[in-house]
Amino acid sequence: MSSPRAQSTLSSTYGHLWFVLPGFIFFLAVMLIPLILAVGISMTNWTGFGGELEFIGLANYAELLTYWPFYRAAMHNAIIFLAILVFQHTVGLYIAVLLNEKPRFMQFYRTVLFLPVIMSLVATGFIWTLMLSPNIGLINPLLKSLGLDFLAGQWLSDPKLALPVIIFVTAWNSMGWAIIIYLSGLQNVPEELKQAAAMDGANTRQIFWRVVFPQLSPAFTALTVLTFIGTFRTFDVVYVLTGPLGAPNFATDVMGTLIYRTAFGGSSFSSADIRFAFGLAMALLLMLIMAACCHLLIRLLRSREIEA
Amino acid sequence: MNHSSSRELKRSQSDLGILMGKSARTAVLVIASLWVLAPLLLMVIASFKSVPEFFMNPFGLPEEWKFSNYSRAWTDANLSLTLPNTIIVTTIAVLISTILSSMIAYGLSRKKKKYAMGLYILFVSGLLVPVQAIILPLFVMLKAVGLFGTLLALIFPYIAMGLPLGVLVLTPIASALPRELVQAARMDGASEWQIYWRIVLPLMKPGLISVSILNGVWMWNEFFIPLILAFKPEVQTMPVGIVSFIGSYSTEWGLVFSSVIVSTLPVVIAYLFMTRQFQSGLTAGAVKG
Repeated sequence: MSSPRAQSTLSSTYGHLWFVLPGFIFFLAVMLIPLILAVGISMTNWTGFGGELEFIGLANYAELLTYWPFYRAAMHNAIIFLAILVFQHTVGLYIAVLLNEKPRFMQFYRTVLFLPVIMSLVATGFIWTLMLSPNIGLINPLLKSLGLDFLAGQWLSDPKLALPVIIFVTAWNSMGWAIIIYLSGLQNVPEELKQAAAMDGANTRQIFWRVVFPQLSPAFTALTVLTFIGTFRTFDVVYVLTGPLGAPNFATDVMGTLIYRTAFGGSSFSSADIRFAFGLAMALLLMLIMAACCHLLIRLLRSREIEA
Repeated sequence: MNHSSSRELKRSQSDLGILMGKSARTAVLVIASLWVLAPLLLMVIASFKSVPEFFMNPFGLPEEWKFSNYSRAWTDANLSLTLPNTIIVTTIAVLISTILSSMIAYGLSRKKKKYAMGLYILFVSGLLVPVQAIILPLFVMLKAVGLFGTLLALIFPYIAMGLPLGVLVLTPIASALPRELVQAARMDGASEWQIYWRIVLPLMKPGLISVSILNGVWMWNEFFIPLILAFKPEVQTMPVGIVSFIGSYSTEWGLVFSSVIVSTLPVVIAYLFMTRQFQSGLTAGAVKG
């Protein structure tokens, strides 16, 4: 009598953990243990080859504070983030508003505009290589045939143009996110709110900014955080369009390529330049900074939501 | 578009302002769609061109449609290896990762214990772990257990890396399931496993589809992980296979674009068939994250 009951309380207390266990083993082996190892290795001077390594404490992290390429890359990420952020919250929001008015062919626009999101960044990179490359690019011949020669540029090798081009391509790939997230936000705005405002004599513009826009703050928060994470992790587009060195002359070097080069060696890096432990320290520091920024961003934006 | 705007012209000739506004709006949507579609169409055309035609005839349709670009992409660019690899890796990893996420979600949702919240936060914070930091320790571990050089070296990491999003999306769904159903099944003597498999899992179906799409798309498209963990075509997936092909034949542009199209088409077709599910599934993860 007592034995089955004891068993059943045991299983009702811990029984459900059996459902968690298989997933947890994968999570432990692939994420937690390597992460702990990474933290350990980042405190050594291991280059990634051979067995020679020494514990050097936080020296890698200290070196990062004065490591110029780290700031340069972080700066490029920040520029990409801000540019994409502005793009998403203006063009993306505007297109979502247009689609919310249910124009003819809405379904078509919606389907097409979201399409790049499901495509790989590698494919995106090659599509724009076809458009922009100095050899096979289509944009320059097009501009020439239109008599606009002066606009033709060395899109990917001019240091002034390369970063804007990366931003442009990232915008192409990610616009669909903004449209769909804002569109679902807009569809959740209660009709009665808008009608009530219209009854009170508000014009369309006032209704949008005073009534509809505050209702969109969850969408604003989600999109901002998503854009932040996406742009600070950017790697594939840069790798395909301008290579692991962030060519020309590091004008498009971002955290992703810098860490990749430092830890694993890029194409034109000799193995002497590979400092695996230093690269790990960079990745981990970036993770901490990003986690802190995300936390702050969410708190900041959420508090705005409540006020609204 | 011409057709529709001319019809609108007749309807509202009286109000030029509204008409202008309307056609300006339509123009924005058309331009945005062209911005997305034109490069895609040009790439499809380019994939049928011979190399000299890229230079002599950049815009026009190819004079000779080189279907051989595709057959050569299959052999020379190793799609015959990397396409099956991508299908196998994505399918297995998505299935297992989604099932395991749903089990975790169910396990964590049934108990209001502190450890449940702690575990939930632990799994979800996996979203913040940078792949660059864990990939080399992972590489060393995979090598040590002898999985390096097999498809499992991608499948195992993908399964684990799919869990954070899966747990994030599915746990609220599992918590919202009516408790009475589970209670009733328990009264009838069903085991916990039967309750999960027969009752909980079917009720979570929309969530499971979201998670599968969410994880399936990134696994199919993932570039960085196979760049490090899959060094030869026999175990590579398509994105990294195409990039490493470029390294060796950098001027075979026709092959490059036909490979890119082969790698993209399956996802695009799935998307066109299930546009709603893709859009809501992908944003479900994004908005909650």
